[in-house]
Amino acid sequence: MNWAPIVLTLKLAGLTALILVAVGMPIAYWLTYSRWRWKFLAESVVALPLVLPPTVLGFYVLVAVGPKSPLGQGYQALVGHPLAFTFEGLLFASVLYSLPFAVQPFASAFGSVDPKLVEASWTLGISRLATFLRVTLPLSAAGVVTGVVLSFAHTMGEFGVVLMVGGNIPGVTRTVSIDIYDEVQALNYAGAAETALVLLIFSFVVLSVVYALNRNMWVVWPMR
Amino acid sequence: MADEMTADFEKRYNGGPTIRAALGLPVGRSHVTVLFGPSGAGKTTVLRCLAGLERPERGRVRFASETWVDTDVGVMAPPQARGVGYLFQDYALFPHLTVAGNITYAIHDLDSRERRVRLDEMIRLLRLEGLEDRRPAQLSGGQQQRVALARVLARRPRLLLLDEPLSALDAPTREQLRGELRALLRGQRMPTLCVTHDWVEALTLADQVAVMAGGRILQTGSPDSVFSRPANAEVAAIVGVETVIAGKVVGRQDGLAAFDVAGKQLWAVEASGKGEAFYLCIRAEDVILEIGAQPSSSARNHLAGRVTDVRPAGPVSRVAVDCGFALTALVTRQAAQDLALRPGTPVTATVKASAIHLIPR
Repeated sequence: MNWAPIVLTLKLAGLTALILVAVGMPIAYWLTYSRWRWKFLAESVVALPLVLPPTVLGFYVLVAVGPKSPLGQGYQALVGHPLAFTFEGLLFASVLYSLPFAVQPFASAFGSVDPKLVEASWTLGISRLATFLRVTLPLSAAGVVTGVVLSFAHTMGEFGVVLMVGGNIPGVTRTVSIDIYDEVQALNYAGAAETALVLLIFSFVVLSVVYALNRNMWVVWPMR
Repeated sequence: MADEMTADFEKRYNGGPTIRAALGLPVGRSHVTVLFGPSGAGKTTVLRCLAGLERPERGRVRFASETWVDTDVGVMAPPQARGVGYLFQDYALFPHLTVAGNITYAIHDLDSRERRVRLDEMIRLLRLEGLEDRRPAQLSGGQQQRVALARVLARRPRLLLLDEPLSALDAPTREQLRGELRALLRGQRMPTLCVTHDWVEALTLADQVAVMAGGRILQTGSPDSVFSRPANAEVAAIVGVETVIAGKVVGRQDGLAAFDVAGKQLWAVEASGKGEAFYLCIRAEDVILEIGAQPSSSARNHLAGRVTDVRPAGPVSRVAVDCGFALTALVTRQAAQDLALRPGTPVTATVKASAIHLIPR
């Protein structure tokens, strides 16, 4: 069994989930509490990866990280090598691709915390950030875990985006799903079956954990 | 004046009423102002504006020398900076924290020894011994209310805002906690603004009553003046009890208490047998008017006086009688005509001892 793609995929999924905790929480917080009238536009942008074909998302990310884009150029000037077809470029694409899988459960959980508890904390002199950390976050723990697990699992299984942005470089961007595809192309069904089974079992375990944590599956947007 | 809190502001809701409030409270000593009125009058909105949870469109809120709100210069102090204690109607206890965790929530910055001292003080003050490790869900309504009060008082606020503090409780508990709350508020060196729609609660707690309806404060004054001398018919309809007199017990006999009010002796049925100072509340429909000398009947109180005013109100007439103090009676229009009641008519007002509702003050 070839472990390199599995290790690489775990690393990619782990880092993606970690970044999404840092990036997704502020976005989810803003989406939950903002009264901006055009907020629905931001909600749509965050939800886009749910409906967009991975190749479309991958195409735009590829253009965005390419050597001709400001992002690609800026990255090259800063780090010294291009962003496209690297692990970092792949990580960037993964974060975008899994964004709704983190943000939506986060926002749903924040939105179900009784606003009176938050207000009570404010009137007790506790800052907004401390209130978030001491009231909102503990009371949304299940939703946060759901978001982390879902974005991790979603990254584990991504294919189209990886192919578009990362290519197929062993040890750098060759993830499990690409590996399976390659094995099948090479008519190595036994190898593909092994890796596929690992992914299947993993996905089942992850979903079981999520369902056990909160009995109802996440809603598309929190009820308010 | 430096030692006063003044608020004068306007809060508009889209498609809803405009809430206007003008209030003054003394600062730094115990003083309870009750904001009294029917639900939907905008009472809670006033509290939320004072706490900084709502932003008034227009107006000013000043607390001693601080400016909390001044829409003219764009000042809007956040709730964190105001140092108020806000007691929510349903208490808003943190469900993931224990009783002790809730009470010490806002005094996290104190060192652990000081925090412990403050916690013990609050546990004792609100009689929460033995409940420190419980979660809010494991407490009765009355206990939750006391925990919420402890959480608010633990950080020594400068102003207490109570939103219907007793309405979430069942009737016997409410009865019991009303007196406790009054004693507690009397012992605090800070002003309180308390919202209620229950006139017994208003009379029990208030040093000052502000009657509110339809988004406006209609009358402000001492409890007996607002209840006995409503400024207009709207206030009279809201307060619902027409005569409120302050009185002191001068004697007790067979479960009855005797009061000396303006030289007249009034008897009232007394449940507790404790306390000296009370408000005597008499509803106008419980007052019977008769012409001439004092008749003898089962009622204990016969008060000679003169009619000062007769005002028709639908099928009945509202008759004001001066019998040393102002007493209002409700009689049918037919009766008012038969008795030829007009200002100056000498009458005897009869009130059963059991129709006088006593509220300790």
